[in-house]
Amino acid sequence: MTLISYASAPDIPAVKGRGFISRYLREMSVAAAYAALLLTLFFIRPAFFQSHAGSQSQFGLTWVSAAPILVAAVGMTLVIISRHIDISIGSQFSVCGIIAGSLAVRHVPAPGIIVGTLAAGAIMGAINGGLVAGMGLPSIVVTLATMVILRGALTWITQGATVLLPASFQWFGASQRVGQGLMIGIALVIFAAFAWALRWLRAGRAVYAVGSDQEAARLAGVRPGRVVFAVFVIMGVLTGAAALLNAMQFITIYPSAGKDLELAVIAAVVVGGAAITGGRGTLLGTLLGVALLATIGPALGYFHAQSKWAGPEWAKAIQGLIILFAVASDGLSKGRRNE
Amino acid sequence: MSMPTTHSAAAPPPADRGVSHARGAPVIRVQQVVLLALLLGEIVIFSLIGRNFQTWNNLFEILRLTVELGLLALAMTPVIVTGGIDLSAGSLLGLSAILMGMMWRDAGLPLIVAAAIAVVIAALAGGLNALLITRLRIPPLIVTLGSMSLFRGLAEGITRGAGNYTDFPKWFIFLGQGHIGPVPTQAPLLVLAAIGFWVLLHRSTIGRALCAIGYSPEGARYAGIPVSRRVGLTYVLSGVAAGIAGVLYSAHWGQVKADAGAGYELEAITAVVLGGTSIFGGRGTILGTLMGLFVIALLKNGLLLAELPPPLVEGMSSLIHRLPQWLGGFLLSPGESIGAHLPAELAAILTGVLLLIAIGVDFKPSFVKAPSAHGNEEFKMKNSQVAALSVVILLAAAIIAGGNFWLVRSIAENAQPRWASPGSAVSFDPGVAPPQAKRITIAMMPKSKGNAYFIACRKGAEQAAKDLNVDLLWDGPTDPDPAKQNEVVEAWITRGVDVIAVACENGDGIASVLRKARAKGIKVLTWDADTQADARDFFVNQATPQGIGDTLMDNAARVMGNKGEFAIITASLTASNMIAWQKEIELRRAEKYPDIKMVTIEPCDDKQQVAFDKANTIMGAYPNVKLLMAICSPAAPGAAEAVKQSGRTDVKVIGVSLPNDNKPYIHSGITDDIVLWNTADLGYLTVLAGYDLVTGKLKAGDTSMDGGKIGKIEIQGTSILLGKPFTFTKENIDLFDF
Repeated sequence: MTLISYASAPDIPAVKGRGFISRYLREMSVAAAYAALLLTLFFIRPAFFQSHAGSQSQFGLTWVSAAPILVAAVGMTLVIISRHIDISIGSQFSVCGIIAGSLAVRHVPAPGIIVGTLAAGAIMGAINGGLVAGMGLPSIVVTLATMVILRGALTWITQGATVLLPASFQWFGASQRVGQGLMIGIALVIFAAFAWALRWLRAGRAVYAVGSDQEAARLAGVRPGRVVFAVFVIMGVLTGAAALLNAMQFITIYPSAGKDLELAVIAAVVVGGAAITGGRGTLLGTLLGVALLATIGPALGYFHAQSKWAGPEWAKAIQGLIILFAVASDGLSKGRRNE
Repeated sequence: MSMPTTHSAAAPPPADRGVSHARGAPVIRVQQVVLLALLLGEIVIFSLIGRNFQTWNNLFEILRLTVELGLLALAMTPVIVTGGIDLSAGSLLGLSAILMGMMWRDAGLPLIVAAAIAVVIAALAGGLNALLITRLRIPPLIVTLGSMSLFRGLAEGITRGAGNYTDFPKWFIFLGQGHIGPVPTQAPLLVLAAIGFWVLLHRSTIGRALCAIGYSPEGARYAGIPVSRRVGLTYVLSGVAAGIAGVLYSAHWGQVKADAGAGYELEAITAVVLGGTSIFGGRGTILGTLMGLFVIALLKNGLLLAELPPPLVEGMSSLIHRLPQWLGGFLLSPGESIGAHLPAELAAILTGVLLLIAIGVDFKPSFVKAPSAHGNEEFKMKNSQVAALSVVILLAAAIIAGGNFWLVRSIAENAQPRWASPGSAVSFDPGVAPPQAKRITIAMMPKSKGNAYFIACRKGAEQAAKDLNVDLLWDGPTDPDPAKQNEVVEAWITRGVDVIAVACENGDGIASVLRKARAKGIKVLTWDADTQADARDFFVNQATPQGIGDTLMDNAARVMGNKGEFAIITASLTASNMIAWQKEIELRRAEKYPDIKMVTIEPCDDKQQVAFDKANTIMGAYPNVKLLMAICSPAAPGAAEAVKQSGRTDVKVIGVSLPNDNKPYIHSGITDDIVLWNTADLGYLTVLAGYDLVTGKLKAGDTSMDGGKIGKIEIQGTSILLGKPFTFTKENIDLFDF
């Protein structure tokens, strides 16, 4: 299967003689950065890992908060590998959250809420996918348009009003411990399923193939249009799932919930090593990218308690530096073979 | 090929760009015809339904509002033509404005030197983008995504979020707010920039090179074009444009904070793409970008001035009421009718739709079945373009026809008041009863529409409008944004409302436009948050920052037993009212509660889940914190949820928030109390004060006014005092529903 070997390593000239280490260099360097951050925290602020009175430690809580982002990032990784992008997910996330809330308020049983929210996500994803795959429009413009349309429509309809959920909605009636475990569990199951499928299923390889060379993929018997459409629908469904995971922690839903989510998610995926030019990237990298970026905020909070200089006002600048550093290292390691 | 790619990407140029043959002679593209039709269509529609839309004043105001965005969009055009993108432009605008303010005020440099240095630094920042993109060959989308975060982060870090540069000298403000003849001072700059970029892109070898690079970087290299240098140039120019825009932004709004220019990059990209520049690169025109800019600007402005014809309002309302309850009830409650005023969100929705149409007109299927079908494809393109054109023309025709129909009707209705002179009135329509006095229009703006607190205020305002029989115009930005607030006020001045009442996001920034409104005879009120005293008639003061700060601090001290540590969770480090509250809280603490210590202030981006995360972080990082003070409305329930889930009983929450969102937490004892005023009364009183001002019942120097159902209201100087902030506790919270 030439398709598979090509897809997994589109960097043909450089890949000769590459071992495990060089192939997963990015994943390992992000993991190293994450480990370094955790180690620093461990030595300077061990409280980060200690739990109070039977509740989660801050470390665990970071993962609970990261669960919805991870789910959305899984979808974004697929989109980016297929050489597209979706900047409408923040708006989709808000819409799905409000839909979940509206269904809950109308006493729809839990399975109905889940199906309804995921279906809403699928429909929004299908609209993006249809415009991108069916009409061949550039995804960055299509999703820019759907982002402003969805956000405007949501503001118009809700006028910013929050949805107060019935008490039974939180954790879907389970206990908090179980609920938090469920959040991380669901996110990790989704992650694992897609990681496996992307590596071992024909459909997964097709995503890489389309992303690295659409025309070659077509000649190899893949239908690029269908693959891209499916990827956008999956993105929508996973955004719906992320909105549900986020909503189940709270008793109110704010229509502003998804603001700027797309930036956080794309940043995590890019730091994780997926190439915006398509065809390259792993979900493992995305997982590490999500973990690293999700830890920055809390870590700054803990460092701030030691030193007044590490204030929360620098969080954005640090995130920008991490992105630039990650992609710059990519550029440097690629060398100058194109000169 | 759906994204801007690296210039080194060895991807074969897709055959579907298919414009190479047209490149020799610049032909007017179908897309530009469509754009022109759109522009004309907007002008026709808004001339019909917009009040004072078709005036020179309004035209120049639109021009002024477009300058900063226009500079970014013009500079973005060559970037996109090379197949790149610059997401960092808006952030760089903010950073350069902050740097200018810093060097002028803090370093004491002359303003003009500070501005020059800021522009140079912006050029260098653009150079950083260029370096990463051309030397390291990283995709522009990613580089500028990173630098967008970095530049904004630096601006926030430098000012600690809260710093606000204002009080610029007169000549500088003239640059942004003055007129040369009837023309806004900064407008010639936009024209100059447009000419400059037009020459660069369409009349120079560099422009040819940029098109070639966008079409095929490899091919351009073989043709002897220094690809890296040319591409780098576009990003440096984009940086320079952002720098100049930053200086103009400061002059235009008279103030600058770290949030300046947020979101401008997306609007600029929208204008460029709407103008027909291909996001794949290789093709694009400055003229198109200008048209795209004005399509958006006219849309925004026109919708603010528009008043839907009553038959349309009735028709649409009854249509919605006929929808099934589960759907219609979501949009309109029974008996309610849609307003005659179009909400600002509609501009965003329509812009998105236009964007889709614009690229749809230009679409070429990228999944071509047979690669050789080039000729075929050309034919198909033509068909789709003709179809789209026809649709646009048909739509425009239908709208114009509808508009005319309405116009005729409304002229018949309004004939008397409009043209009545004592002698001729009879000849028009003797049967009609004497005209009613013109209804008073009160325009009221919240800080942001998407905020439950302001929704609660709106209820009271609408009640008052109904009681007093006045028109209430309720509009404002969807997210707190000082520049957008000014835009809306400008439109209201043009529209000619009787009263403008603003909850100011940035009091210094909005002062000059409010002064302008007063000069035109419009009564100006501020509510919720004040501006400079001479820029308004009265301030409807729900509670002074001092009142809120004192109440919060006193409540905190009561909960904490006068000693211990507490932390604040705020909306954003740049929110001006919360900065004022924090100051008062600190003053009160220092004065009365020396044993209490405030350990940190964390921003929550006005989002519940971020407040939740921050509360967790604070509780972990500062184990001695006994109290979380959450001073924006989503933060209090977010923080309370975090405390609940942590299982800690030694931490309490207090804050400023809405009763409904917090009831469960107050009942379970996690949140001790929340502070707020009666929001409905605030809205009611504002509208009432506006009405009294117009009718002359309320004058400068009064010491009290009749608050109608609220009772007698005290006036101190020019502050109309609603009363002290109210503390909602377990005992009283169930009496309130908002």
